[in-house]
Amino acid sequence: MTKINNNIHEASFRDPSGYMFHDAATLRRVINPIYFPQYNKLKESGFFRTLIDKGLLISHEETEVSEDKIIITPEEIPFVTNPYEWSFEQFKHAALHTLKIQKYALSKGFILKDASAYNVTFHKGKPIFIDTLSFDFYEKDTPWRAYKQFITHFFGPLVLAKYHGTEVFKMLQTHIDGVPVKLIASLLPGKSKLSSTLYTNIHLLAKMESKHSEDYKAETKVARLSKKAQNNILESLFDYIKRLDLKEASEWGDYYDKTNYEDAAFIAKKEFVSSWVATLKPERLIDVGGNDGTFARTVLEKVPHVIVTDIDSNAVGYNYQQVQKNKELNMLPFVCDVLQPAPGVGFNNTERTSLIERLKEYTPDVTMALALIHHITLSGNVPFEKSAEFFAKFSKYLIIEFPTRKDSWVESLLVRKREFINHFDFYNESDFEAGYLNYFEVEKKELITGTKRILYLLKRKNNGG
Amino acid sequence: MNFLYFDPGLGAMIVQAVVAVAAGVLLFSKGVMYKVKSFFGLAKEEEDTYDSIDIDEQDSDVNDED
Repeated sequence: MTKINNNIHEASFRDPSGYMFHDAATLRRVINPIYFPQYNKLKESGFFRTLIDKGLLISHEETEVSEDKIIITPEEIPFVTNPYEWSFEQFKHAALHTLKIQKYALSKGFILKDASAYNVTFHKGKPIFIDTLSFDFYEKDTPWRAYKQFITHFFGPLVLAKYHGTEVFKMLQTHIDGVPVKLIASLLPGKSKLSSTLYTNIHLLAKMESKHSEDYKAETKVARLSKKAQNNILESLFDYIKRLDLKEASEWGDYYDKTNYEDAAFIAKKEFVSSWVATLKPERLIDVGGNDGTFARTVLEKVPHVIVTDIDSNAVGYNYQQVQKNKELNMLPFVCDVLQPAPGVGFNNTERTSLIERLKEYTPDVTMALALIHHITLSGNVPFEKSAEFFAKFSKYLIIEFPTRKDSWVESLLVRKREFINHFDFYNESDFEAGYLNYFEVEKKELITGTKRILYLLKRKNNGG
Repeated sequence: MNFLYFDPGLGAMIVQAVVAVAAGVLLFSKGVMYKVKSFFGLAKEEEDTYDSIDIDEQDSDVNDED
């Protein structure tokens, strides 16, 4: 999940309370003396215990205690997804999770001192809070310091997604500390001012922020706010977010009804995938372009950890709902456009690492790319050698499906090239193999009966090309 | 003691007083509406899978400081 530089985790430098570092393969967290009073109180009062027991906060062990530092070792999270990779439902749940923790903290005399969306990720099928040092003491009658951050990281993007679709989450790639309130306000339709929740939390906030932006000496007295009033804010935001829905119509649903193969072919493909995966016995598997996780689910019981990506946020959302409903602890869905994977963002470009970096660290034993290559090659114009290079960066074994030129989807993609159709003559079985053999060797090759598609099991060459 | 390592935004601190009032009114009226709807059997179950904002502490022994 990060680059190793002096062993300090690149995402943890902002907080003076402590930092994360790599101790060989283990990620640990150092707590500085400045945070000892908070840490000890959180520990002794049983606050950490409750949150951990409830599965709301990542668990940790205290591994070293000295006068100048305390080291804790949190439970390992196999793959960390970032907010711009979440579906609407995931984003929503991460927001609700943050409010829930803040409300609980408040009842115990603490606060969340920040409400960054990066403090939450998904683990064992649920959102989990991962920044153990985000808590501070509550000072009587003070407003919530992280309120604005909650709006710019969570509430604003969610409301914008309602009106403009989940594409807006990608704005967090360019705004690592949240979408500016003014920008959120300007992107909302005029009628949003009629909602008391949107008016006060966004439009009025934007106004007040610009009014007080020049208070360089911090002269104006900070307003007071009772605990009860703060609870009202939290509960009202929680209610509003819980009810929030996407306006855009869901498109994922009938994907498998729209596919061009017969039931028998579908089953044949499932059987190949399932038996190949069974022989490989992977610890970790990624299904790239895995839609709603239908194929990944056929191997879920055999693989300890599975991640499934898709470009379609609705499909990922549907997958996440299945994960929640079936309580699948080892499945992690997230949004990814293979043609434009999440870059490294933030300070030094390393604060949040790129998808490729994270996948290299995840080191999946098996990568599945089913019904994907024709989109990469024909919609994205990526030559076979290039896509092979991409997969070879992180995959040991690659199960890849190649729909031939006679496949109806490929035919339709080719027809859309119109007068340039002969520029894509290279889209054929032998060119595919030639491209992929630069990086992989063929272990198995099977025609899926009843289709015009070939399924390959490839193994990465040791020199990686 | 409370140390601040990022600017919470002065406007954002002040605005919370107004936000809280609006939230209070809204929560109160929703509470009333819910009771009315329940009385007529019209209250709907929510579809979302995330549970409530409150943490049920029955099975943990934490001392409440309030």
